[in-house]
Amino acid sequence: MAKRIALAQLSSCWGCDQSLVDLHLGLLDVLPKLDIVFWPTVVDYKLADLEALPNRSVHIGMVEGSCRTKEDLHLLKVMREKCKTLVAWGSCSIFGGVQGLANQWDLKELLERKFIQAETVTDPRIPDENMPGFTEHITPNPQIVECDVLLPGCPPTSENTLDALTALLTNKPFDLPTKTVCDQCPMERKEKHIKKFKRNYEGNIEAGKCILDQGYLCLGFATMGLCGAQCPSVTTPCKGCFGPTPIMSDHGAKIISALGAVAEMEPEELKGSFPDPIGSFYFTDYAASYLSKMRGKERGQEH
Amino acid sequence: MTAASQQITKSSKAKRKAKGEFEPRIVAFCCNWCSYAGADLAGTSRMQMPPNARIIRVNCTGRINVSFILDALHQGADGVLISGCHPGDCHYTSGNLKMQGRFTLLRHLVKEAGLHPDRVHLQWASAAEGDVFTQGITAMVERIKKIGPNKVKER
Ligand code: SF4
Ligand code: SF4
Ligand code: SF4
Repeated sequence: MAKRIALAQLSSCWGCDQSLVDLHLGLLDVLPKLDIVFWPTVVDYKLADLEALPNRSVHIGMVEGSCRTKEDLHLLKVMREKCKTLVAWGSCSIFGGVQGLANQWDLKELLERKFIQAETVTDPRIPDENMPGFTEHITPNPQIVECDVLLPGCPPTSENTLDALTALLTNKPFDLPTKTVCDQCPMERKEKHIKKFKRNYEGNIEAGKCILDQGYLCLGFATMGLCGAQCPSVTTPCKGCFGPTPIMSDHGAKIISALGAVAEMEPEELKGSFPDPIGSFYFTDYAASYLSKMRGKERGQEH
Repeated sequence: MTAASQQITKSSKAKRKAKGEFEPRIVAFCCNWCSYAGADLAGTSRMQMPPNARIIRVNCTGRINVSFILDALHQGADGVLISGCHPGDCHYTSGNLKMQGRFTLLRHLVKEAGLHPDRVHLQWASAAEGDVFTQGITAMVERIKKIGPNKVKER
């Protein structure tokens, strides 16, 4: 019997969906086993269609994106009610995503920056009519509702999503690895003596050799190894988009701890290498960090 | 620290608390070889210091995972003090210097996140410097009193 599945999009880039669709003919392996009951990205479903379903009548719910609007929050809660197994799908869903970086500022500042002060704005006004309203703070979905399965990545690779779906369809567990991107990476490593950190546009990264050893911030050591080290394999530093491994409590803390050990630099010089530490160390998971949670508590985090 | 030195300060703390003054809660990570020994010396020498610090002994400041510090703030500590051996004196050669690099990045991060960077502080105090240690604690308490309580706690 086919399992009923709902796929919902909160505030996000829909890249996780894109990654799923990128399976192309591989989709044929899973689609016959799935009965799609809600997937507005692809089929014209409305929120009311989902709301009309009996509670816990959907086997698998995939939630992509995080709650930037009150409508997102509502949709997340409805998904939780309707689905037996809820999957936090992608780094937006698990950690808050890139939009979690906005937690550095209060909502008022964000709205003014975007709708009033932005250089290209010709009709400055903050939209408030026929709008669901914004949330004050990005809170990772697993802190709002219980999520049964976590599938990180920005986006998770097509194979990651296929693996998770296959596990769910065959009632197998889908556990996250404690290994890191470095553990999956084919680059040749040496003992680290980093005397200077370069920005990615400075000089050329040499192929075949560890990118961090060459003085570029490659976050493979602090990042969950699930993508197959796809960025360093093509000579591009890992930005840490899969977030920390389940045994690390805070991505930035792990990164700072490691940098202190491998950088042979004066402290001030080390600091000067990272003008935007939040952006560099928490690309997709700032909302899940201790510091952001502290701001969230200050803001009262109502949802 | 001896119970006696704690005793003296506790009664004065009770008095200040009764007046409704803000009493910062400070978590102090002290390395076993220098600062913890320094704190011990301060206690046995009956030096006076405010009772606001909860001391956590670690083998080396180089062993302190940055997440311990952030977690302490997240759980409501008003300030976190890290006290280690003077540069060059580390029992494990360079753990304190690693901490110094980490600390500089951490302070930068804390500031970028909108918290007062003085909520975290790094000091050096040797096993013989009970006085330096107590002055460090006193100065930390004064700094945090100026900044005010950690807002996480108020909710
Ligand atoms: S996790 Fe990344 S790819 Fe997926 S929706 Fe969010 S921003 Fe897009
Ligand atoms: S730091 Fe980057 S390049 Fe080096 S081994 Fe790890 S993932 Fe590969
Ligand atoms: S290598 Fe790093 S940045 Fe690239 S996909 Fe993997 S986790 Fe993300």
